Amino acid sequence: MNAEVTAIDSLSRRPLLLLLASGLAWLLLGGLLALIAAAQLIQPAFLADCSFLTYGRTTALAETAFVYGWLANAGLALGLWILARLGGEALRAQNWIVVGTLFWNAGITIALIGLATGDVTGFSLLNLPGYVQPLLLVAYGAIAVSGILAWGGRRRSMMYASQWYAVAALILFPWFLSVAGVMLFWSPARGVVQAVVAGWYSQCVWTLWLAPAALAVAYYVVPKVTGRTLRSYSFAALGFWTLLFMGPWTGGRHLIGGPVPAWIPTIAVVTGALLFFHYIIVALNLRDTFAAPGVSLRFIAFGLAAYLLGGVTDALTSFHGLSMVTRFTYVENAEQQLALYGAISMIFFGGLYYAVPRITGRAWAFGGLITGHLGFSALGVVGLVLALAVAGLVQGGGLLSTEVSFAEIGELTQPWLVAVLFAQIILLFGNILLSVNFLATLALSQKAEVAQFRAPVAMEVSAS
Amino acid sequence: MSTEPPSDPRLDQAASSDDSLLSSHEKLLGRQPDEKAKYRLTPIALLFAFSGLILFAGTYLNRYAGHYDSLIYNENASPGGATAAPMAVDMVALGKKQFQSVCITCHQATGLGQAGIYPPLAGSEWVNGPEERIIRIVLDGLKGTVHVAGKEYGAAAMPVFGQVAGSGYNWSDEKIAAVLTYVRQEWGNKGAPVTTEAVTKIHQATGDHKEWSEAELAAIK
Amino acid sequence: MKHGFYFLLGLVGALGLSWAGIVMGSNTQLASLPPYADDTDTSPPWFPGEAARGEYVYKDLGCSACHTQQVRRPDFGSDVARGWGDRQSVARDYIYQPFPQLGNNRVGPDLTNLAGRRPNPPDEEDLMKLLYEGHGGMPAYKFLFEQRKIIGQVSDHAIKPSGAAPIPAGYELVPSRRAQMLVAYLRNLNTTSDYPESRPIPAAGAESAGSATKAKPAPAKAASGAAPAPAKKATP
Repeated sequence: MNAEVTAIDSLSRRPLLLLLASGLAWLLLGGLLALIAAAQLIQPAFLADCSFLTYGRTTALAETAFVYGWLANAGLALGLWILARLGGEALRAQNWIVVGTLFWNAGITIALIGLATGDVTGFSLLNLPGYVQPLLLVAYGAIAVSGILAWGGRRRSMMYASQWYAVAALILFPWFLSVAGVMLFWSPARGVVQAVVAGWYSQCVWTLWLAPAALAVAYYVVPKVTGRTLRSYSFAALGFWTLLFMGPWTGGRHLIGGPVPAWIPTIAVVTGALLFFHYIIVALNLRDTFAAPGVSLRFIAFGLAAYLLGGVTDALTSFHGLSMVTRFTYVENAEQQLALYGAISMIFFGGLYYAVPRITGRAWAFGGLITGHLGFSALGVVGLVLALAVAGLVQGGGLLSTEVSFAEIGELTQPWLVAVLFAQIILLFGNILLSVNFLATLALSQKAEVAQFRAPVAMEVSAS
Repeated sequence: MSTEPPSDPRLDQAASSDDSLLSSHEKLLGRQPDEKAKYRLTPIALLFAFSGLILFAGTYLNRYAGHYDSLIYNENASPGGATAAPMAVDMVALGKKQFQSVCITCHQATGLGQAGIYPPLAGSEWVNGPEERIIRIVLDGLKGTVHVAGKEYGAAAMPVFGQVAGSGYNWSDEKIAAVLTYVRQEWGNKGAPVTTEAVTKIHQATGDHKEWSEAELAAIK
Repeated sequence: MKHGFYFLLGLVGALGLSWAGIVMGSNTQLASLPPYADDTDTSPPWFPGEAARGEYVYKDLGCSACHTQQVRRPDFGSDVARGWGDRQSVARDYIYQPFPQLGNNRVGPDLTNLAGRRPNPPDEEDLMKLLYEGHGGMPAYKFLFEQRKIIGQVSDHAIKPSGAAPIPAGYELVPSRRAQMLVAYLRNLNTTSDYPESRPIPAAGAESAGSATKAKPAPAKAASGAAPAPAKKATP
């Protein structure tokens, strides 16, 4: 026990490790399912006779396992840990967290079984059958209670950026999930309004839940490792509120040209452009990440670059000219993977590599596996996003022309979809390395021979 | 900072404590001593960037939001125009749709009909001739043999399409005008479009007329 | 930010504002859209019983992962030119569907107006064969069918698949109830009716002149689209 690892960490160990372990299990399952889906795109006959794994269901399964299994668990674990540390006390209501985690995982399992047996909802990022949603809401609430208590009981009344983002992610998710649940499942809206609600929900997931969860991690780990305050920090609040107020209005961006009145996609385009406020400020605040050393910051730097790039491409593909080519193609899958995997997941990996030694009190077991995971993840994400983007552009070009048949489009996109499969294999392999490392870290009982945690010094105030 | 050992990936060292993280950032947000009135570019640059974005957003929203009307689906609808302004029906497109839903079964997609049974429409002197005849044919039907380009057709009767007694189709005058407009410009025909008003005039003049015969039609005009 | 109360207020406000604006705004505008009645009929039509259940099958197999059901307007992509619909889809098209399956990706063609395709919409046998054998990127949905011994007469619904694996003598291939419902649904996907709001808005200055020339290229495309139709499932 030293100044860096305190009682806050050692007392909060159990529920956080449970959350992280569940997250990693879902990450591996999600990766496997994504692999199957990628294979089915190349060879439709693959597992076609198994009704549980028909392509329409496999994509839904992979997405749900990845977002609601891995990203949710990791986001909660890291968010709770950061709130506990910044609040100055060990996590309270820990039994609630444990029970909540178990029920959350049970809920996701039920959801996956439900999807496989045919309760696919057809809504992007909301492939959670209606019957599972109340269970998930209660479980999430149980876990989030601890975070809210940690925030409410904080020692300093002034909040730091990580706390804003983490609390936003904790509080808002149950609200918009329940609204979507009511308007799409329990008392479904009429006709096309469902598509609008589903679009709003998926942008809420991105801008009100996952992006804040990731930014909470980034805003915490970066100054801790560099030892300097964030640059242009006085604008950070503007960035935060812009994300929250502009973000969900971008819900119509997947309805461009669709059967909805023109104002809905137009508002989405406009607010997508206004979100540049937020991206500029985040880039200004966190720009020290790119030059700093250390494996956590490498992951976070990658994630940040992906986040900023994703914001720019999202805004650009909302406009009429580009949208005509990219709509209904794999380019939208590429954008989603860039956001979910390239940005959020990579930032979570960085947070994971930083947090686990402090939570467990000992260093990671194998350094080689860490650098291996970094390399494979970076390579895999770049390959995945590029391959999907090119496949999508080819597909879009083919769709725009009236002369090209779907068989021809299939042939043209085939090599790129094979590249997607390889990228998924690389990503899964990297995640296996991470999981092995994680288990080894937990299981090894001897103290690491690496230097002990260095005693921290006061933070330097950086220029600007 | 320059003499620290290379970091081991197994343990990323924290440079500062949580407490100093919080306190130093808190100080940044508090009152700052004026650093000899040093000029900082960032706030001005941000101000310009944000003003530009807001200007863009406002202009775009004004132009492309289609009056926030639930019936405007095209964002290019001009902001000064009428609120829900769907444009006039494209007669040729409507006529083509009508033709392909019903007429095509007898008169064929090529407009050549079937020898002895269904008269052709391509290059027909009936189609390219006075519109009063063909309006009546579609409106009230045609019975008996008819001669087109010297050949005789008569095995089947042309059904009644207009909104008259005994009609199985009840097409509006607009639809009849549309299908005639389409037929008159298709397959090399060079007839003028038929307006809805022309059809209505004849419809009102003839009322519930039974099927025409060739002789009666030839007597017109 | 010091004050927790204002912070929470801000959070709720951010979520509430977007919900009120986008969700409730569109709900107010679109939730009570009446059907449109012209001189001959009212549209959109209701799905008859089997077809209505077929929408559930479509949703549960995840068909919207590869097929969309929304046609964009003529100047926004090739949807109309490919013969997927005569006009863009509007909100009124979906008012009677319990869960519109708009879809997000076109690995396969758009299905909005499948039963209204010209000149030949696919019939039941075409669709059953397509589901059983798959085509190109579409997998074979053999689990929707049952191969069973012929008892007495051959069943009305039996399918004769072409291609690789013939059915052993004495057996017939029969679609399950789900396949029948799905095909009934597909054969009722029809948006041939026209609504005032779905008509194209001409560009400034080019009104009737533009519309007459627009019609000309369309028959040529329709003809070229019709040509591959006899060979298995039409591709566009």
